[in-house]
Amino acid sequence: MDDEVEFPITELVVAAAGGNAGAWAQIVTRYRPLLITVVRQFGLTPAEVDDVAQTVWLRLVEHLDALREPRALPMWIITTGRREALRYLAVERRTQPRDPSRLSAPEVDRQAAPLDEELMRAERHQALLAGMAELGTRHRQLLLLLIEDPPLPYAEISRRTGVPVGSIGPTRARALERLRRTPSIRAWMAAEADGRSAARMKG
Amino acid sequence: MEHRWDDDEELFADLVEAVRGVGPEPGTLAADARTTFAWHTLDDDLLLASLTFDSALSGVAGGTRAQEPDRASRLLVFSTSAMSVELVVDRDGRLVGQILPPCEARVTIEAATGEPTEVTADDLGFFMLPRIPADPVRLRCETAAARLVTDWVRL
Repeated sequence: MDDEVEFPITELVVAAAGGNAGAWAQIVTRYRPLLITVVRQFGLTPAEVDDVAQTVWLRLVEHLDALREPRALPMWIITTGRREALRYLAVERRTQPRDPSRLSAPEVDRQAAPLDEELMRAERHQALLAGMAELGTRHRQLLLLLIEDPPLPYAEISRRTGVPVGSIGPTRARALERLRRTPSIRAWMAAEADGRSAARMKG
Repeated sequence: MEHRWDDDEELFADLVEAVRGVGPEPGTLAADARTTFAWHTLDDDLLLASLTFDSALSGVAGGTRAQEPDRASRLLVFSTSAMSVELVVDRDGRLVGQILPPCEARVTIEAATGEPTEVTADDLGFFMLPRIPADPVRLRCETAAARLVTDWVRL
């Protein structure tokens, strides 16, 4: 592992596995966006997404011990989130086979964009959100504040982060550089360079 | 090799799209995280039985929907190397389970919220539960030889 890259996730996983509730809360806060993005792809309502997320978090609590490799946690969340969303859909279909609104949601979504493109976008978002989860707290917080909609004035961002207004720009650049060096983003950029999707990107 | 994300503005634009797509964090997140973690078990002797088969997923897992999920009942299998638990959930929401290899056991059904229910497995390992909680559940089984807890699952 590159020493330059701040990587607190393994430590958080070990601490949470050992019973540290604060570390667990950090894991949930950091990885919730990734999990929500994964589960939402399946056309579930927000309440259903929360149901699936609850099952995934409950299960993760008992699987922390097995996830001490840096890349293991995001991969586990993506895989388990997908499988539990599918399970939820399958069981809902079985118990409520004639609810057309629930069944048509994914089809409607897919008409908006070609399936390939949509899958690519979803995977790109997952890589970015996994990278954000791996970022140090201060850089992560600054980027999230800069993304707020409607935008926050720099003075307000400065007040919340303690970063002087004149340093926000350079700090943002450093945060983005760190993001680029997180294991999740590096893996994604390397996979694209390998060409799995390079042709599509050019076209 | 050059990548679009080598450019700060391209990277940031994609990041904005990804983060805003998630939507706001629910105000209950911290409380939810605490509730979930309250289920954390620190017990080296407890076996964790993973959900290794679920008939609800058998027609969907490969990405095809060729096979309609079985509407009559649902079969789930939780496994450890030494022991497994099979569950059949019928359409009326009754649950019949069996511990394998068959043996007597005390079985506790824990729900994410609400009180646990305790039942007894007979010498063939069979146990029954008349009503299934709406929340995710897991089973805790204590036999003469071992103790196990299953993965959480919504039944």
